[in-house]
Amino acid sequence: MAVELTENQQLAAINADYEERYGFHDAENYLYKAPKGLNREIVEKISEFKSEPQWMRDFRLKALDHFLSRPQPNWGSPLLAEVDYNDIHYFVRASEKPGRSWDDVPEDVKRTFDRLGIPEAERKFLAGVGAQYESEVVYHQVREDLEKQGVIFVDMDSGLREHEDLVREYFATVIPPNDNKLAALNSAVWSGGSFVYVPEGVHVEMPLQAYFRINTENMGQFERTLIIAEPGSYVHYVEGCTAPTYSSNSLHSAVVELIAKPGARIRYTTVQNWSTNVFNLVTKRAVAQEDATVEWVDCNLGSRLTMKYPSVYLMGERAHGEILSIAFAGKGQHQDAGGKIIHAAPNTTSNIFAKSISKDGGRGSYRGLLEIAKGAHGARSKVVCDALLLDEHSRSDTYPTIRIGEDDVNVGHEATVSKVGEDQLFYLMSHGIPEDEASKLIVNGFIEPITKELPMEYAVEMNRLIELQMEGSIG
Amino acid sequence: MRLVEWEELEIGVFNCAGTVYAIEDRCSHDNGTLVEGDLDQEACTIECPRHGSLFDLKTGRPLTLPAYVPVDTYPVIIEDKTIKLEVE
Repeated sequence: MAVELTENQQLAAINADYEERYGFHDAENYLYKAPKGLNREIVEKISEFKSEPQWMRDFRLKALDHFLSRPQPNWGSPLLAEVDYNDIHYFVRASEKPGRSWDDVPEDVKRTFDRLGIPEAERKFLAGVGAQYESEVVYHQVREDLEKQGVIFVDMDSGLREHEDLVREYFATVIPPNDNKLAALNSAVWSGGSFVYVPEGVHVEMPLQAYFRINTENMGQFERTLIIAEPGSYVHYVEGCTAPTYSSNSLHSAVVELIAKPGARIRYTTVQNWSTNVFNLVTKRAVAQEDATVEWVDCNLGSRLTMKYPSVYLMGERAHGEILSIAFAGKGQHQDAGGKIIHAAPNTTSNIFAKSISKDGGRGSYRGLLEIAKGAHGARSKVVCDALLLDEHSRSDTYPTIRIGEDDVNVGHEATVSKVGEDQLFYLMSHGIPEDEASKLIVNGFIEPITKELPMEYAVEMNRLIELQMEGSIG
Repeated sequence: MRLVEWEELEIGVFNCAGTVYAIEDRCSHDNGTLVEGDLDQEACTIECPRHGSLFDLKTGRPLTLPAYVPVDTYPVIIEDKTIKLEVE
C-alpha cells in the first residue's frame, strides 16, 4: 500500500541523512573572510592575497567589468532570479597554504575531510587528491612516481605560481571570461581548483580526485580547473562536492577547461551532492584534437538549481566525445543539465546519454546541442535522453538543438519519458519486494548504464546517494 | 580601426603596430560584430565583445573558443597613402 507523506515529511526524509553525513558545519576560524558583495576592491584583494602577476590581476578586473555589465541570463530556469550576487561572500581563506600532509591541514578542516572519507579513499585507490575548503585548497598531494614522470597535479593558485608560462598559454583559451555571465564572474574571483598537466605518453592509471567543500553560509565557491593532456596521454579526474544545509543560499560557479592533444584521452567524472540551498552554475568545456577522446561523466544530485552543460569541441579528425549525464531532481529542485558536442572536423564521433529522474515536484531538464560543422564529413553521433518521473507532480523537459551543416553524416536522436509504472511495481511487489525497495530497484536499473561507467567505489556511492534521495518517495 | 562596407560585405581594417590587416567584421560563433572588441596591437588580435573569442587578424583564425571557424581575410594594398582592399 502506498503511504501518503506530508510535504514536510517528504522534505525531512530527503534531508535527514544528508544532514547527518554532509550537512554538518564547522566553526568559522578563518584567516580572512571578505564582506558580502562584489566590487573592484575585493577582486584586487583576492589577487593581492595570492601575490599574482599583473596580467592575472588585469584579467580579473576586465572579467569583473564583463560580469557587471552583463544581464542575468533569461533562459534556463526561473529559479535563477533568486540568485542575489550582493548576498555572497566571494572569498574565504581557511588556511595559509595547501598542505602536502594531512597533518598540515587545520585540525577542524581535517576532521571535516575525515568525516567525508577523503584521506581513506586516497590511501585505497587514488593517485592524487586535492581538497578545497571554501575558497582555497587546503590539501594537495600526488603520488611520487607520477611526479617523477612529470605529471603536475596542484591547486590552480600554485599552478599559476609554479608553472606560470603553461598557465598563461592555456588559461581561458577554452572558456574566455566573457563567454557568459557566470564565466565572467568566475574569471574575476576564481580561487582554488586544480591544475593538471600530463606529459606526452604518460598514462595515469588511478584517478586523481578533487573534493570541494563549502562550509560558510552565503558562500561563493569559484574554483577554476585546467587539465592539459599532452599527445597520447591519459588521465581520469574525479570531483565530489558537498555543503551544509542552510536556510539561505550559497553559490558555486566553477570553470573547467580540458585540452586533449592528439591521441590523448581525458575522462572527467563529477559526483556532486550539494545541499539544497546551493546554486550550482558551472561552465565546463573541452577541446579534443586529432584522435583524442574526452569523456564527461556528470552525476548531478542536490543543489537548488544546477545549470551545467559540459561540452566537447571535436577539433581534430577522428576525435571522440562522450557525455554521460545523470540528474536527480527532488522537491524544490531544478536540474537543468545536458551537454554539447561540436563536430568541427571530419570523421569525428560522439555520444550523449542523459538520464533524469524527477520526484516530489522536482524538475529535470535536458538541454543539449549537437552541431556538425560544414566540412565535418563522416561525423557520427548518437543522442539519447531519457526521463523518469516518479510521481504526478514532477516535471521533465527536453530542449535538444541539432544543427547539421554537412550531408555525409550519421546522427541519431532518441528521447523517452516514462513513469514508474504500476505494473512494474506490482510485478516486483508480487515477488515479495516492498514498494519502496521496488522503486529503488527501478531507478537503479534506469541509471545503471551510466553508473557502470563509474569506478567501482563511486558507483557504490552513487547508488547509495540515489537511495538516499529515494527515501520517503513511496507511492 | 575602421569599418568599411562594400556591397554586402562589412570589413574591419586594423592597424597592428604599423601593418594594416582587414578581416570580415563577423564573429563566426554568432555573427556579432568584431570591430567593437578589444584590439591587441602587439599580438595582432581582436577579441569578440560578445563571447570573448580571440581572432588572429593576420589569418582570421580563432585562437580561443567558442568560435572555431576562421573568418575571411582580405589582402591589403597601400598605394599613395591610400589603403586598398582586395575583396574579390
